[in-house]
Amino acid sequence: MYWLSNVDLSSLKIENWDGEYTVFQPESGKTHFLNEMGLKILLILDQSPATLGTLCQELSEYFTLLPDAKFSGQIMKTLQRYEALGLVSSVTENT
Amino acid sequence: MNVGQLSQETFRTLLTTSGLRVKTGPFNLSIQTRFPRLIDQLHQMYAHYALVNEAEIVEFHVRVTSMRSIRRPLTRLIQFEVDGRSPFPPVPAEQALATLEWGINLAIAMRINHLLLFHSAAVERNGHVLLLPAWPGSGKTTLCTALIHRGYRLFSDEFGLMDPQSSEFFPLPRLMPLKNQSIQVIRDYFPEAVLGPEIPGTLKGTVAHMRPSQESIERSDESAKARWIVFPKWSAGANLSLESLPQSEAFLLLASNAFNYEVLGETAFGAVTSLVRNCECRKLVYSDFDNALKALDALTDG
Repeated sequence: MYWLSNVDLSSLKIENWDGEYTVFQPESGKTHFLNEMGLKILLILDQSPATLGTLCQELSEYFTLLPDAKFSGQIMKTLQRYEALGLVSSVTENT
Repeated sequence: MNVGQLSQETFRTLLTTSGLRVKTGPFNLSIQTRFPRLIDQLHQMYAHYALVNEAEIVEFHVRVTSMRSIRRPLTRLIQFEVDGRSPFPPVPAEQALATLEWGINLAIAMRINHLLLFHSAAVERNGHVLLLPAWPGSGKTTLCTALIHRGYRLFSDEFGLMDPQSSEFFPLPRLMPLKNQSIQVIRDYFPEAVLGPEIPGTLKGTVAHMRPSQESIERSDESAKARWIVFPKWSAGANLSLESLPQSEAFLLLASNAFNYEVLGETAFGAVTSLVRNCECRKLVYSDFDNALKALDALTDG
């Protein structure tokens, strides 16, 4: 399964509040509150679709973290939340 | 000409026929009622409001009518209507003033979308607005009442009305509903305050309205920009604290506190962003009025 962005990142209104971000999504009219990692997930997926593993790898390199199962679980939860908000979609490879 | 300059008879005639047309901040209001007690109460409580002439557009037409109920044949009831619709079930006639005031607030909250409406008290000092956004029960009306008796100019105890393009706030000085223990607190602290009748048994307990000062009503065309945003919370026995609030948190609190943030969408996002970036944001916890007022004076002195 891989994840892809549903939104044109350039259409989002993003305000930086010292490393925390408010993001207005014009299509839904919703405002989201993200930390730096939350925004980085959207930026990575805006470049190209990615699997959870690839995403965790890129995030751990960017934030100099050691990826483990707990980290993957947290990123998965974030992706599921983004999916519910219409920001990303999950696609299984055989569909 | 002000309501207080009308004779009791003319005042009564307007209310019982074509409607009493008054200016409340940026809105005009027409009130009709035949209920004698409410007529007397309005003559006192609305004395400082300017009358609106027939040529001007009135945004809200409200009416309080008497009615009978088969279920409660011995209770005299009243019904509030705005533009012919009844948003509330009938209530005992003694609650007419409180229901009228809540009804007008509801109409403003539901219908005004050219301005961003924060659920907030707003007062002005030294040419700038101090915004006090809070949820029901946090004591914002009581604190607002105290501030205006210490020289702050009332904008509103209920609405922060902001033009999203210019960031100007507009005064909307209306009757301020003090509730339960706050009524006696204000009577003790500010014996000069003009309070309406105590109205027991409402959904919010006993309510008594405070009349805004004549000056605040007469200056209700003077808008101002906000400079301070303070989220107040009264807590019994708490020591005073007036702490800085991260702007991101202030943004979230304000956006979720506004009545029409989602309706205004991107416009509201931009307006709240601009507001927060241009204000000092604080969180106030207090139990003692004098200490809270000193702290807010110090904040707004500069």
